[in-house]
Amino acid sequence: MGILVFYLALIAVACAFGIVFINKRTGKKSLFRVSNSMQRKAEPYLFLLPVMLLLLLMFGYPLINSFIMAFQNYKLTSPGRIYFNGLENFRNLLSETDISLIIANSFAYVVISVLGQFILGMTLAMALNKQFPFRGIYQALVFLPWSFSAFVIGLMHRWSFNGEYGVVNDVLLRLNIISSKIAWLGTPGFSLAVVIFAMIWMGIPFFAIMILAALQSIPKDVYEASYIDGCGPLRRFFKITFAYIKPTVIVTILLRTIWIFNSFDLIVIITNGGPANFSQTLPSYMYTKAFSSYDFGLASALGVLLMVTLVVYVTVFLKITKYNKAGNF
Amino acid sequence: MKNHTIQRYLGNFARGLILLFFLLVVLVPIYWMVITSFKTNAEIINTQEITYFPRTVTTDNYVQLFRLYDYRSMLANSLIVSVSTGLCVTFLSILGGYGLARYSFRGKDTMLLFFLVTQMIPGILVIIPLYVIFAKLGLINTRLSLFIFYVIANLPFCAITMRSFFERIPYTLEEAAYVDGCSKLKSLITIVLPVMFPGIVAVFVFAFIGAWNELIAGTIFINTSDLWTVPVGLKSLIGKYDVRWGVLMAGGVCALLPTAIMFAFMQKFVVEGLTSGAVKE
Repeated sequence: MGILVFYLALIAVACAFGIVFINKRTGKKSLFRVSNSMQRKAEPYLFLLPVMLLLLLMFGYPLINSFIMAFQNYKLTSPGRIYFNGLENFRNLLSETDISLIIANSFAYVVISVLGQFILGMTLAMALNKQFPFRGIYQALVFLPWSFSAFVIGLMHRWSFNGEYGVVNDVLLRLNIISSKIAWLGTPGFSLAVVIFAMIWMGIPFFAIMILAALQSIPKDVYEASYIDGCGPLRRFFKITFAYIKPTVIVTILLRTIWIFNSFDLIVIITNGGPANFSQTLPSYMYTKAFSSYDFGLASALGVLLMVTLVVYVTVFLKITKYNKAGNF
Repeated sequence: MKNHTIQRYLGNFARGLILLFFLLVVLVPIYWMVITSFKTNAEIINTQEITYFPRTVTTDNYVQLFRLYDYRSMLANSLIVSVSTGLCVTFLSILGGYGLARYSFRGKDTMLLFFLVTQMIPGILVIIPLYVIFAKLGLINTRLSLFIFYVIANLPFCAITMRSFFERIPYTLEEAAYVDGCSKLKSLITIVLPVMFPGIVAVFVFAFIGAWNELIAGTIFINTSDLWTVPVGLKSLIGKYDVRWGVLMAGGVCALLPTAIMFAFMQKFVVEGLTSGAVKE
């Protein structure tokens, strides 16, 4: 069944390409001899067909599958016993011992990371907003972490915060801030803090890039007018600068919150959720559940809950910020 | 007047400090990783004294990485998957982006909403059912599985970005070509795409980096070491009892080099693409 769908899709994609290109090449003479206006109407769909087909097939179809799996007893370890079990997965999920801890972790992880990235990214963008020597090279260096893989960033931090050989302990000891080495990754609280630290480090460039672009689109004469009117720097910041970049800030925070919430490779690399789930978030827990116990039903139920949370978050966020143009992301 | 000059001087000084701070924040961890990769193992695990510059500079870690851990095949796998993902995504985004930029049609808003939704869904929620589907198709443990996943994961954002690159090119350019008797395809290839070249490269870089840096799907879809990509292969080195930090750091440095170089050269276009793709005014 699956193979059939896949091959049909491949054939459809091939046909779509064929039609697009033959139609283009032959100009008015269409492959299907449809009228000229019909053909013009079909044109955008032909351009988008490959993209949509691929996404529906490899994104939409699996997504529907996982919604179904959420209501099934679906364990990969016993493939013969797959059946619908109603809300049992959800009930099991809520009775997991650490679930409230994991929810609290996710919340702290997302809120602190987003706030940290936003404040630091905004500071960097404001500092970058004036011309200075070697600005091009400076930007290339300071934005570099954007291109880094979470995986390598995770390695870097895991090594720096290593309890025995790590450089962070050494520096803190030399500065007399701590008196003995701290097992950062083995201590509840600290392990999550290290993950958050790494996440902030990783995300500053993205915020800075977005806010810098918004800052540079503010017309200069607005500032000139404010100087003439004798506007103070604080008032200028809130009434002009922030007012202009607000839409960008809203969209960036919205997108980043979702992205940070969903991404967990840093957690997998740095702490693997430890010690004892103290740095586990919902998506990383879902990953662990799915591919250590192979309980796909439970994992999908968790995924469905995640999606519902995100939808609620987006709706509420857009309502509160009174922003209605997020469709153009 | 004098007061004003002092204020400006102080402002510039503060700005310089801030810029220096961020430069250090970025460079210090990178420095530490590079330095560690050139230390001997004895120096790395010396708990008595941590050295801030290697006492003996050695390339031993890099040699081991390639000799003992077959880093060459990891690099090859990563390159094959990332380049093919980049090419495929770029091609499909050109088609999709052009359709979105130059036409208004029924269902366009729904389509854009669908693209937005794909960006919000936790990747793992799609990976789990895809694992089942790929297993049925016999695609588990093939590079094709990674290729398919990376294409769909990067396509929506890249298509939207490509669309805004198209929108910046005046339609009159194409119209002039039609008047001269140019067909749609010919004008797209010979006139529009050359103007768009920076945008096309930026989209390729997005997709390439997206595929190159990905870890989770790699650990799930691939299970034999000969098909490991760089992140998956290096992750397997952490799990062992005796973590060879020098070798791991050397692997990290090699993993960062391609994307860092790409980014350094394409920074302007990538930044342009990021901002135009994410926020439309």
